[in-house]
Amino acid sequence: MIFSETTLQKLRQLHLVAARVRSGAFKGERRSSRRGSSVEFADYRDYTPGDDLRRLDWNIYARLEKPFIKLLEDEEDLAVVLLIDGSQSMDWGQGVEHKFTYALHLAAGLGSIALAGGEALSAYLLQDGTISSSFRPARGETALSRLFRYLETLQPGGETALNSALEQYNLGAHRPGLVFLLSDLLDPKGCQAGLRTLLGRGNEVVLLHILAPDELDPPLAGDLQLVDIENEQTQDVSLDGGLRSLYRQRVDGWMREIQSDCRRRGIRWLALPTSQPWDQVILREMRRNGVVK
Amino acid sequence: MKFLLPAGLGLLALAIPILLLYMLKLRRRQVQVSSTMLWSQLLRDRQANTPWQKLKRNLLMILQLLVLAALVFSFARPAVQTRTVASGSVIVLLDASASMNARDGNPTRFDSARQAVHSLIDDLSPGSAMTLILVTGRPHTLVAAQGDKPRLHSALNKAYPSQGPADWQAALALAAGANQNIEETTTVIVSDGGVSGSILPALPGEVRYLPVGSSRRNLAISAFALRLSMDGPQLFVEASNYSDQAAAVLLSIYLENILLTASQVEIPPGERHGLTLDDLPDQPGIYRAEISSPNPTTPLDDLLLDNTAHAIYQAASERRVLLVSEGNLFLEQLLASLPNLRPYRALPDENGALQIPTDPFDLYILDGVLPDPLPDGHLLFINPGSNAFFNVGAPFRELTDIQVNTHSLTRYLDWSSVHILQARTCQPPEWAEILIEADTWPLVFAGQAQDRRVAALTFDLHDSDLPLQVAFPILFSNLIDYLSPPGAFDASRSINPGESLTISLPADAERVVIASPSGQVYDHRPQSASLTFTQTGESGYYAVNFIRGDSHHSQYFAVNLFDAGESDIRPRQNLQLGTQSVSAPPSGQIGQRELWRWLAALALALLVIEWQVYHRRSLPGIRTLFPTGARPSSNRPRQEQRR
Repeated sequence: MIFSETTLQKLRQLHLVAARVRSGAFKGERRSSRRGSSVEFADYRDYTPGDDLRRLDWNIYARLEKPFIKLLEDEEDLAVVLLIDGSQSMDWGQGVEHKFTYALHLAAGLGSIALAGGEALSAYLLQDGTISSSFRPARGETALSRLFRYLETLQPGGETALNSALEQYNLGAHRPGLVFLLSDLLDPKGCQAGLRTLLGRGNEVVLLHILAPDELDPPLAGDLQLVDIENEQTQDVSLDGGLRSLYRQRVDGWMREIQSDCRRRGIRWLALPTSQPWDQVILREMRRNGVVK
Repeated sequence: MKFLLPAGLGLLALAIPILLLYMLKLRRRQVQVSSTMLWSQLLRDRQANTPWQKLKRNLLMILQLLVLAALVFSFARPAVQTRTVASGSVIVLLDASASMNARDGNPTRFDSARQAVHSLIDDLSPGSAMTLILVTGRPHTLVAAQGDKPRLHSALNKAYPSQGPADWQAALALAAGANQNIEETTTVIVSDGGVSGSILPALPGEVRYLPVGSSRRNLAISAFALRLSMDGPQLFVEASNYSDQAAAVLLSIYLENILLTASQVEIPPGERHGLTLDDLPDQPGIYRAEISSPNPTTPLDDLLLDNTAHAIYQAASERRVLLVSEGNLFLEQLLASLPNLRPYRALPDENGALQIPTDPFDLYILDGVLPDPLPDGHLLFINPGSNAFFNVGAPFRELTDIQVNTHSLTRYLDWSSVHILQARTCQPPEWAEILIEADTWPLVFAGQAQDRRVAALTFDLHDSDLPLQVAFPILFSNLIDYLSPPGAFDASRSINPGESLTISLPADAERVVIASPSGQVYDHRPQSASLTFTQTGESGYYAVNFIRGDSHHSQYFAVNLFDAGESDIRPRQNLQLGTQSVSAPPSGQIGQRELWRWLAALALALLVIEWQVYHRRSLPGIRTLFPTGARPSSNRPRQEQRR
C-alpha cells in the first residue's frame, strides 16, 4: 500500500469523529464526555460508600475533614472497525477505478487516521456471508505497517451476503465503536438487517457505498447476454438508448432508497464513485460530511 | 395476379434459418458485468409495465422476415393482367425524324414516344419478343426479337431523335424483313404521322399506330439559297407558316454573324413569304437566316430545328489542267478561256519522248498521246490508243445514226451540226456511261474507273468540225467540270440532315478534316479521288479542311432542314399503308405488367428501416464494436504486479 508522504501527513492531522463516543478499556487521546480517571482535574463530589478510595482527595479531607471524590476528565480510546466487502462483485473496474483496490485504499487511509489518533483499529473482510479474515485490534502508528501488509493480502472472491456477514461480526465479543462498512451493496437481499444488528449493539455506522463509473452508466449496446461475475447467472438484454436511460434511473432510485433508509437509522452514507480519487474523498468528502475533522 | 416464376417462392424457406438464428439467440454477445441485480430488477419492471416490449425486442426479426418476403416475392415475378396495345411478336417502329423534336411532348415528342414504347415493353406478356427499329434517314434495328425487358429498356434509352427526315420506305422494308419468318406479328408505329407524304407499302400482319404530338404550331425557313447573278451574289429566303393561325415573324439575315437585315412579316396560315436580297458583298461568306418571335418572351413555335438556315457563298477554286498534246490550238484556246482553270501544256520533245511533270494536276488531257505510265489523276482521252482503261480498235468512217444520250454532261449540247470524218471503234468499259454514240460505237463516254474519273473522245478533233461548233466549248466545259469539279463540292447547294455529300478531293490533299456544327471532328486520309461524307446529321454549316503538309484551305457546306414533311408537324391520327388506313387503336390485347420492381423497392425500404432500427439500438455504435468497462479482474494492476 503506497501512500505519498504528503498524503500521510495530511491524514495524520485528521481525527475520526464519532457522534456518540464509547468508552474503551484503554486510555486514549480522545476526551470523553464522562468524568473518568485521567490526570486532568474536572470537579469534586461527595463521597458515597463504594467509591474507589484511591480517588478520594486526601488533602481536602485533611483540610475540611469531609471526604470528597476528585473528579477528573476521562480520556478514552475509540474502537474503529473497518468492514470490507470482499465479494467477487467488488472485483470490477480498471486501474484506480477498481472497486476492491479503491476500498483497500480507503481502508488504509481511515486506518492511518485511526492509528495516528491512538484509536483501537480492527479490520474484517466479509466474504460468502462470513468473516474470512481479520486484522485484530491494534493501537498506535507502529501498527500501520502491519495494517498495510494485512490489506495487501486481501483478495476479492465469493458471493455477497452482507446480512449474514454482519450478523457473524456481531456474534463476536466486540465493544461498540465506529464501524465503517465499505461495500458496493450489490446484494439482492440487501444489508438492512445486518445494519440494524450493528446499530443495536451500540455501534455508530458509516456506510461507504463504492461503485465503478460503468456501473452507474454502462457503456453497453446491442443484443447482449449479461453474465454476473459472482454467480455466473445470465440476463438477456437488448440494450438501446432508451433502456440505458432507464437503467440510470433505476440506479439513481436504488441509491436514493439506501440513502433515505440510512438517514432514518442515523447511518452516515457516502456514495463514492471510484472515478473520484480516494484521498480526495477522505480529505474533502468525509470532512464535509463530518466523518473526519 | 399470378407469379411468372412460382418456383421462386420456395426461397421463402430461407425464413427458417433466420427464425432458427433468433431462437438459438446466436446473435447475443456475452458480456460480463459485476452484478445482474439491477438489470434483473429493471427488466422485471419494464416487462411488467410494457407488454409489447417482447414484440419490440423481435422487431429486427420481423423486419428481416419482411425483407426476405419482399425479395422472394419479387424474385417470383408477380404480374397483373393489363390491356395493352400489342403482345406476342411485336415490331416497334419508333419515329426519330426531325419533327419528333417538337416540344409539345414530355418534353419532346420523341420523349413521349419513348415513354409509350417503355410502357409497351412493360406490358409484354411472358414469351413475347420485341424488335425495336429506330426510323431515321437510315433506319436501323436497336434490338431484334428480344424478350428480355431490361435489355429492351436499355436499348430504347440509347435512342435519340435525328435532325433530318426519316426514310419510311426503308424502315417498313426493315420491318417486313424482320417479321418474315414469324407468324402473327404485330407492328406498332409510334410516330407523329409525318411520313413525308410518300406512299408507303402495306405491312404483313397486324399494324397498330400510336400517335404522339398535339400541336401544329410551326414556322420554318423553307428555302435559303444564294446564287451568283450578273450583278453579284443574290440571296433568296423563304419562310413558311405551317400553323393554322397567322403568325408575325421576325426574319433576320446575318453575314458572318453580323446582321444584314431584319424585317417583321405577317404570314397567313399555310402561306409562304419570300425575300430576295441583292447588293451583297462579292466575297465569300456564311449567311444565316433566322426566324424568331417579335416578342422575345414567347417562343415562336414548337420546332426549333427549322427556324435557322445557312447558305454558303464560296469562290470556286482554280484547277490545274495539263494538256499533253503534239499541238492543238483549239484545245489550248478553249482551256485558256474557261473560268477557274489554269492550263499547262506538255509537248513531246524532238525524239517524240514525253516528259510529264511530277507535280500533281487536277486533270490530264491526253490528246492523241499516251504517256507510259499513265499519269495518276483524272483523265480525258482524245483519240486514244488502247490503254489500261479500255481497248481501241480500227477506225471507221461512215458515221450514221449519231445519238446523243440524255445526261447531265450532254445538257444544252447541240450535236446536229457536228460532222466527224472518222472515229475508232471501241468497246465501252463497264464503268462508262456512253454520252454520244454512232452505230453502236461510242464517240464520247465518261465514268468513274476505280478511284478516278475518266472520259474519252474516240475521234481526233482534227477529223471533225467540232472545234468550230457551239457544242465544242459546252461539251468540254461539262466534261472538265465533271472530271475536275470547280470546288470539292457544290457549296451553294445545301443538303438535308442525314444526306450524304460527295467531296471531290484536290489532287494534293493529304488529309481531309471535317468539323460539324457542334464541333465534332472527322479526320479522313483520302484513299481515292473522292470522299462520301455521311455524318451530316446536324443542321448548320460544316467546315471541310483540306490539308497538305503545313498548308490547308477550307470550304464550307450547309445542312438545312428544308423538308415540308418534317416542318409540317401537324399530328396525324391516321396512317395510310398501302390500301390500309391505320388509326390509333384501343388497347386490344392482354398483356402482363410485372410488379417485381415495386416489391424490390419495398425490400430496399424495409432494409433501410431495419438498418436504422439496428443502429438506434446499438448507439453509440462505436461502443458496440469495442465494448469497454466490462473487464475481468485480470486487468487489475495490483494483480499484474503480483504476477
